[in-house]
Amino acid sequence: MFKTLAGRALVPVGIAVTGFVIVCFLLLYSVIKNVVNRDTVGYATNLADTILRSTRYAMLKSDREMLTTIIQNIGRQQGVEHIRVFNKQGIVQISTKKKELDRQVDKKTEGCIGCHAGAIPSASLGRMEQARTFTNGEGRKVLAIMSPIYNEPECFNAPCHVHPPAQKVLGTLDIGLSREMLLKSLAAIRNQMIVFTVMILVLTVGGVTALLRRSVFLPLQKLRLLAMQVEAGEHPEAHPSHFPRELDRIAQSLYNLSQKNQSAGGDQAAIDKGTVPKDS
Amino acid sequence: MQPENDSRGSAPVWRTSGHAMTQSIDHQPVPGLAPQQSQAGLLEQQLRADIKRLNRFSNRGLWAFSLFILVSLAAWRYFPMLSLPNKVVAALGPPPPPNIISIVLLFYTFSAIILSLSRMTAGIEHKSSFCHVGYLTGFLLFYHFAKALDDNFWAVFGSGVTILSIESYRIWTFCREAMSRRNEQLEFLQRTGRMPPEDE
Repeated sequence: MFKTLAGRALVPVGIAVTGFVIVCFLLLYSVIKNVVNRDTVGYATNLADTILRSTRYAMLKSDREMLTTIIQNIGRQQGVEHIRVFNKQGIVQISTKKKELDRQVDKKTEGCIGCHAGAIPSASLGRMEQARTFTNGEGRKVLAIMSPIYNEPECFNAPCHVHPPAQKVLGTLDIGLSREMLLKSLAAIRNQMIVFTVMILVLTVGGVTALLRRSVFLPLQKLRLLAMQVEAGEHPEAHPSHFPRELDRIAQSLYNLSQKNQSAGGDQAAIDKGTVPKDS
Repeated sequence: MQPENDSRGSAPVWRTSGHAMTQSIDHQPVPGLAPQQSQAGLLEQQLRADIKRLNRFSNRGLWAFSLFILVSLAAWRYFPMLSLPNKVVAALGPPPPPNIISIVLLFYTFSAIILSLSRMTAGIEHKSSFCHVGYLTGFLLFYHFAKALDDNFWAVFGSGVTILSIESYRIWTFCREAMSRRNEQLEFLQRTGRMPPEDE
């Protein structure tokens, strides 16, 4: 394959174009995936803020019934996998899943370790650090956000509450959203990009191959046949034509050479037959 | 140090502290040749040494490719021999964002392919394969420390495979052509006792 002109011309071009297009596809897909993930985390964080604002009054009044109803109603929304409210000790106080109530979570697990890595837990985290992804017990992929419930003057000044002013975080809200839709969208984008990439590759490599074959390899093949005919002493039937300008001169030379050979052959035959004197 | 011709006007000879080293066809010194050897024998030895060197050099791309595969395997396992990204980030400061690394990778891939194809077109002998392994390792490390290796490993791998394949092909074809030229020269030398006239 590497000894032919076609192989030598097309292999490096094919590798370069294919490789570069694949690298572009992978990088572009990675960028799109990051953007979609970041947007989803932003959406989930906003939803967590909305829940916190909706439940603020009920928390201030310590109205557990209203709080539970609000959380249960939001939890019924499509795409919401779970909503939990933890207290400072990590015990689940309110949850959309009743079996989780009054259970304590391990602070070293993913989602908690972000703040509880050191001896003194961090009171704030960046938006992306609040997010974690995992597969839940029902086999569904989940994006979860941990949103801290901060202590406010209304909390530690209220007569019914016991939170000291020095306590910065009262608890956390954990909301889990299904990633099924997100993964489906990403898969659709990926498939479309693969189709476009394959089409670009076929068009580019196929186009270059077709053009080279039409403009270079076929004329060269004709030229080779012409050279073989001249070498074998045969006279080409037709005047060589339809060659590119660079090859046309060579074809003309070969044709002229064959004509000279033929006339020289004819003279020699005439000399052998004795019709032409040898010294003429 | 300047090359000088010996008394019979043969090939240039390097004189270095009492040792005589002849210069090969492509200006690579070939040690161990005595100046009293006949010119034809000397040239034959130079050609043979050149062919041997080109044969060794033709595998350079494959060695670079193998090294890159090894580095990629280490990256696939998150560089187990290195300390944790958090420790390195704490010591050196934060790495550039993954998007910036990706843009640089894209430009690097484009430039490396163009450069390699240009060298192929010009027929230049350039030993650049191992540099590319270094650059690609740098990209893998940057992604690792930016905690974005999961998303971008295949992009770096694809870039490496493309660049190193073209480089291997360029080096291999260059060496094949040069070796075939040297073999023709050697055959001519053995037949006539002199070097063939230089091609323009």
